[in-house]
Formats: sequence, C-alpha cells, structure tokens
Amino acid sequence: MVNIEQFIEQFLAAVDFQDPVEVNPDTKLADLPEWDSLAALATIVLFDTEYGKVIVGPDIAKCVTVGDLYALLG
Amino acid sequence: MSRCTLRNVRFAGMATCVPKRVFHNVNDAPPKIRSERERLARNIGIYTRRLCPEWQTFSDLAFEAAEKLLAELQWNKADIDALIIVGQSPDYLIPATAIIMQDRLQLPQTTIAYDVNLGCSGYPFGLHLMGSMIAAGAIKKGLLLVGDRAGEEKDPLFSDAGTATALEFDASAPPMHFDLNSDGSGHKAIMLPVGGHREPVDVHHLIPHRDEGGYLRCGMDLVLDGPAVLSFSTQRVPPAVEGLLDHVGMSKDEIDYFVFHQANKMINDTIRKKLRLPEEKVPSTLRDFGNTSGASLPVTMTARLHDKLAQGRHRLLLCGFGIGLSWGTAIVDIDSGVFPALIEA
Repeated sequence: MVNIEQFIEQFLAAVDFQDPVEVNPDTKLADLPEWDSLAALATIVLFDTEYGKVIVGPDIAKCVTVGDLYALLG
Repeated sequence: MSRCTLRNVRFAGMATCVPKRVFHNVNDAPPKIRSERERLARNIGIYTRRLCPEWQTFSDLAFEAAEKLLAELQWNKADIDALIIVGQSPDYLIPATAIIMQDRLQLPQTTIAYDVNLGCSGYPFGLHLMGSMIAAGAIKKGLLLVGDRAGEEKDPLFSDAGTATALEFDASAPPMHFDLNSDGSGHKAIMLPVGGHREPVDVHHLIPHRDEGGYLRCGMDLVLDGPAVLSFSTQRVPPAVEGLLDHVGMSKDEIDYFVFHQANKMINDTIRKKLRLPEEKVPSTLRDFGNTSGASLPVTMTARLHDKLAQGRHRLLLCGFGIGLSWGTAIVDIDSGVFPALIEA
C-alpha cells in the first residue's frame, strides 16, 4: 500500500500536466487547471495498472480532493 | 455461442488505403490550444492523422484498396460471390454502400452485397461472417471492405481509412478461431444520438456553438464517454484474449503478432501490460494514423507487417473493440498472402 506522498507523486506523473502544480491531500481537483477528462483516464489507468484496483468514471466524479482519490485505494 | 472455429477458409490477402492529406494534431490545431494538444497527443499517442478532403468518402478509399488487391491477387472479378462492407460511413443512409460498390467494382450481379453496422470492433466480426459463408460451402470467394471516414479536424482521435480483405475456400487452409461478444447496455458510451428514429434531426441540432478551443460543435456530433470506453476496453479485452487462447489450447508464445484495435495509447498500453506482451509482438500505428475505427487492424497489418505477411506463415491474434459495445478476437494463420504496401489516395 502506497502512502499519500507516494500516491501524489505517482498521480502527478500519471496525469502529466503541462504546467507544474503544487498538490497536497486537501487540493481540490476542480482547482487544478488541467484536471480534465484526460486526467481522469490517466487516474483510472494508474489505479488499474499500479495498484490493481478497478475504478470507474463515476468513482472519480464523486471525489472532491486529491485525498478523496487516495481514499479510493481503500 | 461466442467462440467458434472455422475451417476451409484461406486468408488470401489485404490492401489498405488512406487519404493523402496529413493532419497534425499539434501543429495544425488553433494556436491557443497547442499546449493542451501537446499533452493530449503525448498521452493518446496520436500525432498525425489522415483526413479525407470534402469530396472523398470511405468507399473511395475502399475502392482503391479493392482494385489493388484484386489486381495483385489476379482474381477474376466474375468469381467473386460476396462483397460485405463493415463500417459506419455509408455513401448514403440508404441504400447499402456494398450494393453500390458491386456496380462500381464491376462485380457480377450474382454477388451477395450488404453492409454491416459495426465500428472499431468490426474486423473480426467481418472475418467471421464472410468466413462462415465460405466454411459452410455457400460461397467460394469473398471480399470484405472495412473502415470508416470518422476523422474530423477538431477531434484528435479518429483518422480515415478504407481496406479490402480477400477470403477464399481452401480445403487445406488452417483453422480460424473466434471469440465475439456484444454488450448493448453500453450503447451510450459512443454514439451519434441524433439522426435516427429515436431522435430525428431537428433545426436546433444544427445550430453550432464554439467550444473552448474555437471549434464549432453542434447536436449532430459524436458523443464519447472516455472513462466508460477506457474501462470497457481495459477490463473486457485482456480476459477475452486469454479466454480464446485457453479455449484453443495455445500459448501466447505461439502467436507471432498481436494486433489490437488502435484506440489510444492509454488503452492500448494498458491492455498490452495486462496481457504481459512484449512490445515487439504488438505493432502500433497510433502515432502516424490515429484511431482508424474498424480499419485499424488492417492499417496496422499493412503499415507494419505487409512485407512479412507476404512471405511464409504467420499466426496473428486480431482484436477489435469499441462502439456497441462490441468486442471480438480472431486467431488467424496467414500463409504467403498478397499484401501490397499502403496506398495513399
């Protein structure tokens, strides 16, 4: 099980934003300028391939913060 | 029964035609979205696409492919028993494009001709349909035209192509194996919601608006639920591939090439990793030709393997998946087929 710091590092690598952003567990996804459908796809792939956890679009839609995404790892 | 084996069907050859016009996903995009497009292109793995000019249709591309293939095969057109088009880019809503192509290709009026409405998954289904007629002894020679004109400048995924595949009866041909599936509960994941009888075209569907990138959009556009398509593809395809291999008692090592529908890099990389396949056995054309819908298997076979497939015997696993939702896998042995180089028209 990854800790939240490792998760954030892997999350940022996966979403591959053009412009660097500071992210902590309380960062709201909607406040990230490049949080978009591509980033959602990358997050689904990250969970599947790195953590063996299947999540779907509606799971992500319910998440408000980066910490909420981490909590999906359950 | 979704799994079956067809015998006596020889894969005689294939030709692929793409438009000459090259569209660059980053450099040809409006300047204000180029940075965003760089990230998009990097992640979907698509840099250039081939787009038909206004006057050109899918059937124009398929016509070029079919003429080239028939000439190289040295088949007599009078011997062709069936012409099936698998695609979603008809010349007209009705009649079926395959019937128009019977005349245009100067095939005999005894030709069975009709269209099958399948997109990205279509190639294995087309092989199965034509192959079934041949295996049953109902016909001897068939021509399968697969592809679409799905590309638009504003959407970075789709690219245009027309392809032709020739199948014939041959009692010594190796068997073809299939696994074919449908899940209509996912029909809204990729759809053109307007224009059929559920929602006929009305004036308000035609009123365009500009999106954030400056492109005009309207109610007639394709609707695509990216996360739903990604989940479908990455969850359904790997077990389907492994299921067919298990069913026929083959190991992955016995397959020379795994050719997957070219959806996007995220989807294709995930499928390849989940199946633990080496990159060299999984050819890709995403970077240069994008997602060519049902044509993507022939595009990839032609662009990456045509010289190899023209000599010796190779075993290919072909897997298409997408709109429907629909997914199909075929294991096909190709022995010295006719595979002309990629045609541009």
